[in-house]
Amino acid sequence: MEMEMRINEHPILGVIEKGRLVHFTLDGADMEGYEGEPIAAALRAAGVMTHRHTVKRGEPRGIFCAIGRCTDCVMVVNGKPNVRTCVTPLEEGMKVQTQYGKTAKEQTK
Amino acid sequence: MKRYELLVVGAGPAGLSAAIEAARLGMKVAVFDENSRPGGQLFKQIHKFFGSKEHKAKIRGYRIGAELLSEAERLGVEVHLNAVVTGIFEFMEINVMENGELCHYKGNAVLVAAGARENMIPFEGWTLPGVIGAGAAQTMMNLHGVRPGQRVLMVGSGNVGLVVSYQLLQAGIQVAAIIDAAPQVGGYGVHASKVARTGVPFLLSHTIIKAEGTERVTGAVIAKVDEKFRPIAGTEQHFDVDTICMAVGLSPMSQLLAMAGCRMEERRGTVPVLNEYGETSVAGIFAAGDVAGIEEASSAMLTGRIAGTAIARKLGYLDEETFSGEYQALKEALSRLHEGMFSPENRGRRDLTETDEGIPLSQSLLKNGYIEKEELTRFPGVVKQKGIHPVIECTQNIPCNPCQDACKFGCIAVGSRITKLPEVAKDSRCTGCGMCVASCSGQAIFLVNEDYDETGASVTLPYEFFPYPKAGERGLALGRDGRPVCEAEVISVKSSPVMDQTALLTIRVPKEMAMTARFYRAKEG
Repeated sequence: MEMEMRINEHPILGVIEKGRLVHFTLDGADMEGYEGEPIAAALRAAGVMTHRHTVKRGEPRGIFCAIGRCTDCVMVVNGKPNVRTCVTPLEEGMKVQTQYGKTAKEQTK
Repeated sequence: MKRYELLVVGAGPAGLSAAIEAARLGMKVAVFDENSRPGGQLFKQIHKFFGSKEHKAKIRGYRIGAELLSEAERLGVEVHLNAVVTGIFEFMEINVMENGELCHYKGNAVLVAAGARENMIPFEGWTLPGVIGAGAAQTMMNLHGVRPGQRVLMVGSGNVGLVVSYQLLQAGIQVAAIIDAAPQVGGYGVHASKVARTGVPFLLSHTIIKAEGTERVTGAVIAKVDEKFRPIAGTEQHFDVDTICMAVGLSPMSQLLAMAGCRMEERRGTVPVLNEYGETSVAGIFAAGDVAGIEEASSAMLTGRIAGTAIARKLGYLDEETFSGEYQALKEALSRLHEGMFSPENRGRRDLTETDEGIPLSQSLLKNGYIEKEELTRFPGVVKQKGIHPVIECTQNIPCNPCQDACKFGCIAVGSRITKLPEVAKDSRCTGCGMCVASCSGQAIFLVNEDYDETGASVTLPYEFFPYPKAGERGLALGRDGRPVCEAEVISVKSSPVMDQTALLTIRVPKEMAMTARFYRAKEG
């Protein structure tokens, strides 16, 4: 069973402050997250690991550095490909799509 | 094109410290950082820092970050975020990518404090989702409050690997093991011990062979290595983990300096050649912090301050005499951090067999992450006494002395050389206040009372995990190796603002376990 991935109360940091709850979509499915947190954080909290598949071999990639350096976590966000989800703040109504090569797959909504 | 007197690249501990010094002396300073938040890695560092008061010892990294930031703001330092410096050009001009535009700034001096990036080692499956940098784990859990995984294998036993392992545990994540290809734990023994006593095994001379899984990490395979770091066939071991965390060193991000024509050298990564004030071979361009050689945040703050002060002198904001006084003081503060077995010169040395005091090092600490009880008595922090008294299991020469300041009754002495091992006075007047326990950044101090009652002893230990146990609760006492050794009853859990989130957990154990029980675990169910 997947454990709760959000830390509700931390022994050192206490309650970690979050923005308001917002809705977004991942490949058409409804998702929730907190405004202003990185898209990648909201996805990880929801149990999503694969952000994209590589151009040539179609291998899965996900969060690796989490600070915008490695570009492994890029996705198609609001129609724009190669968006680094670990440093892009989540907004209400964002359309996030798994990236296949350089684009979102045709069949995803 | 906007003009400033000092342009700083990087708003981490070095960059902010330099900016504060320069602004304090009247200079107009702008700091640029590519991240959306300032502070570099400080806001992810939730442990108490080492050093002495002048190095902000026993203050947690994120609080130091907040202090630096508010000081910089108070002094009018302009901090530009989401601002990527793309080049340093002639006459102290820099290009900055800000809000999708390329902006120009001109300064009279430039300080590069761009920090470092994480190293990586490739292995089968290393690109799978679930293989992450240790920095990524810190960022996810300490900044964003999201657990990177449920069960983690940590690769690397340097201070980063040890500190992040402890943070993973604090975030409620299991750490399956800490492995390292080296035959000895790389980081501070005290960092290793606080992880080991929770039950995390250390596997030295082991390397990662494979990340298992097709869509994401479902396991890891490790193997023993020979003296040339080659995996030994037949020694493979599997771990059920969903995350593999890599803490295999850092490299300076010195590209800007190389591009600017500064003379560079290879010293554990490409670093600029600097004079004693942090100035590169290009007059007016300075460097400080990890970009000039990997250390840690405490020395980054000092090299930043040295550079900031030197820049102020160069530009006429500080007279020679005042400068030389301030420089001397900063240099001495830095050299106090640079003493002992973990000094920059001693990095990676595996031939050290004894402390500065001539006491043989604990071999178990280096191989297993914890000290054996039998090895303890040779260290000056461990004395047997009637009644309550501190037991300081600090056995390596690391630069740290808050324990000495914490005890108002003079029970603990480190002396002026802060890398010396702390000594507990033979007839200490310990009142059991526990301030030493809470102040020890290495969580290596325990209060022991072998005369607690007829048959029992009390042990007070630092505790930084949720949920806190409750008085009266019965659970298990664990040894330094994390194995259950006996039953324990919780006597009290104390926390106060001055202890800054380090609770004092006092347990009662059978008398003969007073020097064995070092952690507590509630009974399951």
